[in-house]
This record gives sequence, structure tokens and C-alpha cells, in this order.
Amino acid sequence: MLLEINDLDITYGDNTPTVENVKLSLNEGEILTIVGESGSGKTTVIRSILGLLSGDGHVSKGTLSFKGRDLKTLSLKEWRELRGKDISMIFQDSGNMLNPVQTIGHQFREYIQLHSDMSDSEADAKAVEILKRMHLPNAENILSSYAFELSGGMRQRVGIAMAITFHPQLLLADEPTSALDVTTQAQIVKELMQVVKESGTAMIMVTHNLGVASYMSDKLMVMAGGRVLEYGNARDILTNPQSNYTKTLLASVPTIGGKRYV
Amino acid sequence: MSEQNNTNDCLMSIEHITKEFKLSDGNILRACNDICIDISKGKTTAIVGESGCGKSTLVKTIMGIHEPTSGRVMFHGKDITKLSNKEKRQNYRHIQMVFQDPATAFNPKMKVKDLICEPLRSFGIISKGEVEERAKELLRQVDLPEEFVNRYPHSMSGGQRQRVAIARALALEPEVIVCDEATSALDVSVQDSIIKLLVKLQQEKGITYIFICHDLALVSLFSHKVVVMQKGTVMEQLDGDKLAESTHPYTRDLLNAVFSVH
Repeated sequence: MLLEINDLDITYGDNTPTVENVKLSLNEGEILTIVGESGSGKTTVIRSILGLLSGDGHVSKGTLSFKGRDLKTLSLKEWRELRGKDISMIFQDSGNMLNPVQTIGHQFREYIQLHSDMSDSEADAKAVEILKRMHLPNAENILSSYAFELSGGMRQRVGIAMAITFHPQLLLADEPTSALDVTTQAQIVKELMQVVKESGTAMIMVTHNLGVASYMSDKLMVMAGGRVLEYGNARDILTNPQSNYTKTLLASVPTIGGKRYV
Repeated sequence: MSEQNNTNDCLMSIEHITKEFKLSDGNILRACNDICIDISKGKTTAIVGESGCGKSTLVKTIMGIHEPTSGRVMFHGKDITKLSNKEKRQNYRHIQMVFQDPATAFNPKMKVKDLICEPLRSFGIISKGEVEERAKELLRQVDLPEEFVNRYPHSMSGGQRQRVAIARALALEPEVIVCDEATSALDVSVQDSIIKLLVKLQQEKGITYIFICHDLALVSLFSHKVVVMQKGTVMEQLDGDKLAESTHPYTRDLLNAVFSVH
């Protein structure tokens, strides 16, 4: 088992837990999607895996183990080695994680050299190779660009490229395609699937697009109000939802050629 | 498309609108290229396309935010792209707008009642003493509790804020409401409830909607007419219930980009 989470409670400040009793497990190469509406705690769950809860959020109960290591006992140095290499993350808008006053190439090189002892030219060559894998044309041009000069879809491809540089064993993705329009979303989803399958990476994705969840996932978790309503095989849940909330969610998804209100 | 041939039904006609922007390198970007669309009274016209296809530029032209390079928009016998500032202000009584992100469309320091009634106060239609009563009435129309009159925008969820934005757009009893990606920032279940609300209001009041969106599945739920744009040009105009049968290659691309749940 690559990742195993049991009885996880997450608390912000001294209040009652925001997220309660989360249990999940993930094998190598498996894709788990967490769906639920805003404020249901889905982002909190994946942030806790990377030890990156915002503010005074902390794990108040339960265990998180990654390849048999207890994530709660890691030192800062151990976290630094793990983050970005064995476990990496893709954000909703990768433009926000990039430094606006440094070129993409500068940041990419810095990131690669942090986790390896490559020379500048080796690191640049590596960056170009990975950007090409994400179907970005003119990878050299992109390295000399600033984040604001790229479109949303291109920025997102850069973010994914950086996240998969070291073939992470676990990839966390927080709404990786929600800010994109449908055609770009479709391309990114397919490219993401391809790179994940090629490198045998396990992935946990947060989304509220049930179509994307259905296309990508092996496992599915439905959350509402900080609790897990359903967890298990994605196909089973989508074809035979148990909770009323999941049923409502599925009924809300518009389909082309389906129901019409007018 | 028989109903569009009937000129009595046509409330607004967009005629040969072209909008060019001069770029800093001296080149010219043609954001809208000879666009002709008839907007039918009491119906929903959806304008779909990827980012950068010119749909927002077109809306800005309709709203008089900028002047077209050529072409006109006829509304009640007048070209509304050539109005004086004074006439433009009066014209906004008939055309209102709902934006993508209600959090940024509201002044965070104003209470809901003042936000909703600002258009009415601005046109001197109601006195200060009538604000609370009218705000309650408008909140009822968008299915929000009356107690919300004294709330601030930050203490509401995204869906509730979007309902308030709709209430504000309704305040002046406009004939046309332009929705620019009005549900794109919302979760599926919330999105569904907002669409149901828009449809209900249309049936009650005969409001005409111009709905800008990139999600074809969503517009197939409730549009009477769908206009597909790409790179500033109208590729296809078709009836909302015929969307799935489109044979146009670009429309097919957009349709195929939608992930379905099953």
C-alpha cells in the first residue's frame, strides 16, 4: 500500500474538527478522485497529505502513512526531500504558484537542481524534454517566458510538467482543470492520464466535475460538510449511489441531449 | 429556426459587428468579425466558444463598454452602440448584467439590501425608506430568506451571492439580462439550482437572456438558441434542442470535449 490514511481528523485552531474520520488507501498507479461542494473539506484532506494545511490547521487524530512512513513524525528536512519529489502537487491555477518576476526557465532549473545535482545545461535540457511531453510547442520559448505571457492552459501544462519531473509516486491535484475551458480541459485531462499511466504514479485529484472524475478515477470519495459520505470503486458509486447527496450531485450534471428546462 | 425569421420576435439585432484592437506591435487583432445575431424576445440565446473567441468582447460592445469598429446593435429602433452617455445610462434600465464572480462584483462594505437596491436608488425610483421592503421582495423572487437583507457579501456562499447578483439585475425590471459565465465558478449542484431559478424568472417575467458560457452541456439545458463562436467569427447558430445533432466540425469538437459521467 502506497498511502494509507486512517481515522483522520483535521482541526483548525481549537474548534471542533473541520474534517472528520477520513479513511482511504491507495496503491501504486491508482487514481482517486474526491468530489464535493466548496467547503466540504476535500482540499483540506489532500493538503494534509503534503503537510501543508493552511493557517493553524493540524491533524488532530488518526494516522497518515506513505510507503510505511508515518507522515506525522517527519522533520522539516525530511518533508523537503519528500515534497516535490516523491509527492508533488498541481494547483488550480499554476500561474499563482509561479513567481511573476522570474522566467519559467529560471524557476524550473531551480526546482530541478534542488532535488538533483544536474548542471544548468542538463537541467534546462530536462525541462525542455518534460515540457515537450506535455505537448507544449516551442519549449525553449516557454522557458524564457514569464508566467503572465502564457495562456491558462499553457500555464497549467507547465505546472503539471514541473510536478511530474521526478516521476513522483504520488501526485496530488487540486482542481487541475476547473479554471480551463472545455476543450483545453479535455486535452489536459487526457495528457495527465497519459503521464500518470506511463510513470505508474498514483494520484489523488479534487474536482467538482463528475464527468472528469468518471473518466479518470479508479476510486471515488464523496464529501460533504467535512465528512466522507461514500468511498469506494468509482464505477460502483457512479452507477449505484447510496447517499442522497451523491444522487443529487449526479442529477445536477447537465448532459447534451438530456433533460431540458425549457 | 422559423421563429427567428419572424421579425416581431426579435428584440435586439446584432448586425455586422466587427471589433478590432490595435496591438502594441502595430498589428491589428480582430476580436469580433462581422457578427450577426438576432436575440429573440423572452428567449435564451447562448453564446459559446473557447477563451479568446471574442464572446466577452461582443458582450462589452452590446453593453456599450466599448464602441465597435463597424456594425450596429439595434434595440427598440435605436443603435445602442452610438448612444450619448446620458442615453446609455437610461438604456441600462433595460439591459442588466450578471458577472462570473459575484464576490468581485459587489462592494464588500455594502449590505445586501443596499447592493440590491442601488440601481433603484441610482435612478431615483425608490426612496431610502423603501429600500428594506423592496430588497426583501427581490430576495423572495430569487428564493433567498428575507433576513439576508442585513448580511454582507462575505458571509454568504458563492451560490447565495450569485442569487443576490440576480436579484440586483432584476431590480430595474429589465428586458434583457446578460450573464457572462454566471455559473462557471459554482459547483454542479449549485449551478443547477441557479439555472432553474433563471428559467423560472424567464417564465414569470418574460426576460430575455444572453448567456455567455463555455460549457455546452450546461447551455443545452435551457437555451433556445446557441451561437457557436471561434476566433471572432460565428461558426454556427442552431436551436438549443438540436445541439446534439450538429454536424459542424468545430461544434462537434466542443461537444466531444465534454466528459460524461456514464
